[in-house]
Amino acid sequence: MTRTEILGIMNHVMVKKGRAELSDETAKTRESNFRSLDFSEVALRIETEIGRELNFDATTMRRIETIKDVLDFFEHTMKA
Amino acid sequence: MAVVSTLNSVIAEGRWFNWGQLKASIAEKFDLDVIRHRRVMFAAESELHAASLVVAGLTAGMDFGIVEIRQVTPQLLDRFYVEGITLSSTKTDAKLSRDPFVSNFKPGRVTVLTSGTTGVPKLIEHSSNSLNTFDRLRNVRPRNWFVPYQIGSYAWYQMIFLSLFVDGQSLILGQADDLMGSFDEALKNKRVDAVSATPTFWRQAAMSIEPEVLSSSGIKSLSLGGEVVDQSILDYLSDMFPDAEIKHIFASSETGAAIVVSDRKAGFSAKLLEQDHRKGIELRVDEGRLQILSRYGSCDKTSEWIDTGDLVELVDDRVYFRGRADNSMINVGGQKAYPAAIEAVLLEHPSVLWARVSAQRAPLVGYLPQAKVVLSQIRDEQELELVLTSFCEERLPEHAVPRLWSFLEDIPIAKSLKS
Repeated sequence: MTRTEILGIMNHVMVKKGRAELSDETAKTRESNFRSLDFSEVALRIETEIGRELNFDATTMRRIETIKDVLDFFEHTMKA
Repeated sequence: MAVVSTLNSVIAEGRWFNWGQLKASIAEKFDLDVIRHRRVMFAAESELHAASLVVAGLTAGMDFGIVEIRQVTPQLLDRFYVEGITLSSTKTDAKLSRDPFVSNFKPGRVTVLTSGTTGVPKLIEHSSNSLNTFDRLRNVRPRNWFVPYQIGSYAWYQMIFLSLFVDGQSLILGQADDLMGSFDEALKNKRVDAVSATPTFWRQAAMSIEPEVLSSSGIKSLSLGGEVVDQSILDYLSDMFPDAEIKHIFASSETGAAIVVSDRKAGFSAKLLEQDHRKGIELRVDEGRLQILSRYGSCDKTSEWIDTGDLVELVDDRVYFRGRADNSMINVGGQKAYPAAIEAVLLEHPSVLWARVSAQRAPLVGYLPQAKVVLSQIRDEQELELVLTSFCEERLPEHAVPRLWSFLEDIPIAKSLKS
């Protein structure tokens, strides 16, 4: 799954919740209104898409601050 | 206890009978004396056969119950064996099971089966006294009841007993292999003016039967039960049958029929929690669970409080059902979401005919609510996902808003008429 496709899933969730699409990767997740429940839903949709469970490393998770961090996290986790 | 209304009618398979004829139909072909001193479950081959067996078994004072032959599984036979029950057929004049492990005979006992939704049906002990909950009724108008329930269930026995013990109450037995077809036919022939059913039955009827057939049927009395009765189904039925008496009844195999609500509102008045025990039924709420003490309950539990396993919530002066305690709470990142409450919100939406909410395991937060929905008319599903999400967000806390959606073509109705 490409970075663009991951962003597409994130924006699907954002639009469904009536929020603005994510376009600036440097924006903070909190400022963009991308919440923990959204993160969980995106993770679940990615798992469904690729047909396997992702491994969530708590240390890496705690470092997530921006939209870029989220995209990097999913890209990295899918490769692991 | 003597059957008092042998002349009430029973209509099945397009033919009319009275209870006296049905009793005689068993006696003609089968000598009940052969098994009179055993605990017996009769294997019924049709709705009519099952009804005939009840009146025959009751008048002979037997220790018996009824099970639909298609419901008999090896696991159920094992349960019969352990409980000292012989499975018998009056059609083949034969025992259908091995001799039971123990002798366990109690004259006058009537064995009721639970729906078996979560496994092998349980056996609940009743008697004609506990099943005849109609001694509370006064001045009952004559009615022709459509009976859609699964043979041998508590609700089915209730309808059979209504007709056996209350004058003027006739039954039209729905056919399990074509339930909606038999209902449609009974409505068109103007045979029915009363129906006892689950909310799921009515939602399926709304999809399967022309609205004109329903509205012009002349239905005067409706009883709902077996599932949480939400406001949307009460509103639908009130609109469809504005002149009908509409009641929803809380009943279970173990507690019997315990709560009757007739104000067309979901839930029940909190005043019932202070109900006078002289009426034979008391209610209380313990840690959010409804408990009932009832003289109409299972015979071995008439003097003890029964935990119904149903979660309830007091809002103002009303008690609302919030689902089952054992499987109904969704833990979303440590916050509780209740499927019944979410379903009630979804059913408020005019495009939603049926909804079921469950927990979907999800990373990080543990579980997310997912909704399965049947629409009342064809709509763009992607658009409706947005609309329903927004609708829920206005009425529910964020963690309770469904995140995953499935749109089904049909309501997945079980034989118990529940979904």
